[in-house]
Amino acid sequence: MAADSHIVKSYTAELDQLTTMIAEMGGLAEAAVADATLALRRRDSDLAQRVIEGDRKIDALEAQVASNVVRMLALRQPMATDLRTIVAALKIAGDLERAGDYAKNIAKRSLILNQSPVTGPISAIANLSQMVAAMLHEVLDAYVAGDADVAERVRDRDEDIDAAHTSLFRELLTYMMEDPRTITACTHMVFIAKNLERVGDHATNIAENLVYQVRGEHLIDRHVVPGERNEL
Amino acid sequence: MLDTLKATTLPSTEVTGLPTPMLSAHDVCVSYSGKQALFDVSLDIPQNEVTALIGPSGCGKSTFLRCINRMNDVIDGCVTSGTILMDGRNILEPSEDVVQLRQKVGMVFQKPNPFPKSIFENIAYGPRIHGLANDKTELDGIVEVSLERAGLWKEVKDRLNQPGTGLSGGQQQRLCIARAIAVSPDVVLMDEPCSALDPIATARIEELIDELREKFTIVIVTHSMQQAARVSTQTAFFHMGYVVEVGATEKIFTNPEDPRTNGYITGRFG
Repeated sequence: MAADSHIVKSYTAELDQLTTMIAEMGGLAEAAVADATLALRRRDSDLAQRVIEGDRKIDALEAQVASNVVRMLALRQPMATDLRTIVAALKIAGDLERAGDYAKNIAKRSLILNQSPVTGPISAIANLSQMVAAMLHEVLDAYVAGDADVAERVRDRDEDIDAAHTSLFRELLTYMMEDPRTITACTHMVFIAKNLERVGDHATNIAENLVYQVRGEHLIDRHVVPGERNEL
Repeated sequence: MLDTLKATTLPSTEVTGLPTPMLSAHDVCVSYSGKQALFDVSLDIPQNEVTALIGPSGCGKSTFLRCINRMNDVIDGCVTSGTILMDGRNILEPSEDVVQLRQKVGMVFQKPNPFPKSIFENIAYGPRIHGLANDKTELDGIVEVSLERAGLWKEVKDRLNQPGTGLSGGQQQRLCIARAIAVSPDVVLMDEPCSALDPIATARIEELIDELREKFTIVIVTHSMQQAARVSTQTAFFHMGYVVEVGATEKIFTNPEDPRTNGYITGRFG
């Protein structure tokens, strides 16, 4: 990842290791989101259970990244691109850890949903999940390639996810109004949809952190601009 | 109580909007016996700020520093061209009074170099030769204020007649700083002032630099990037005799424009 090597080779190795750990976390988080949704679609409780248990590995990697970052800040006193890479890695690890938590929550809800008859717009949820997983996948590819342009394009896609989430929420409301017996199941799905939407937000954060890492500029976080869009 | 609550003044983060430059260098070139060491260096040194000059050995940073008080004049075969404006005068003009200039531009060196005289005489020497004190009381006052500003007064006030060379390394360096500021200069040049000191003595000098900034304009050459980052508000990166990049210290150390600056400060050079 480092454009060229440090005079001190072990420093380059530590930076590379940080990138590798983030890539590994990203792969796990992306798979967790996809598997949690698959568990819901296929009513596969074993798979849901594996997603829940797999979250521990993501958490452990985040703790490892945090510990490596603190050590590098103390021992290497990084500057410029290195400093930005290290700070970005810490923040990206936090985003991926949260994404893993959301996948775990989806898996837990799918375990509950599996105990009642099939109901609700499962395919729309699968569609939203696919969009989110694709966004996560692309931003992680951009991270490994150090490509801020791709990151910026991925970030723009968050609006599509928000729109899909809003539409899914409306659909779920219709289900619940039509048949109040579906309210319990649909409420779980409202949360599942929200979890997916939040994973999208974390993918956006990752994209913004990558832009910071590469260019040294902070993109304005659209999530804090009030009144810009209707968030649920 | 009030002292402990006193707010720390942080260096300003923006170079833009800095006061009028105290020194303004334009196209400064220096060569030693025909070998050019500095190429068209143009650099503004803002008033009451700390400017750090960084770069690998032989990059020209010390050469540039030594232009500011004409220290290069004493080197045979050294030829300087270009202008350095201070108070509207080009201090590089051969007709400029170098003694006068060195009263306005003091210097502190890498290795503490107190005169082999008493602590008092180390400080009193400059004000005396420049005629800055009318009588003994005034001279005593200058010595006290200078040592006070250099953070050394409390440690030495009861032994002013003892030799300056008997002080510790850190104290000697603060003595040299007191000596430099005793003649009320506008600019204080520091050439790696902490490289011979331990971390505690270094921290004292850095704290002192921060305090001195209120009264003086400081230009410091340092090999320690961390030191440049800690003490300066503006940083200039020199490489192979050129100024590659100059800007707010915060910018230089978090997001430099030039890949060479990035390479140097992250340790990728070579």
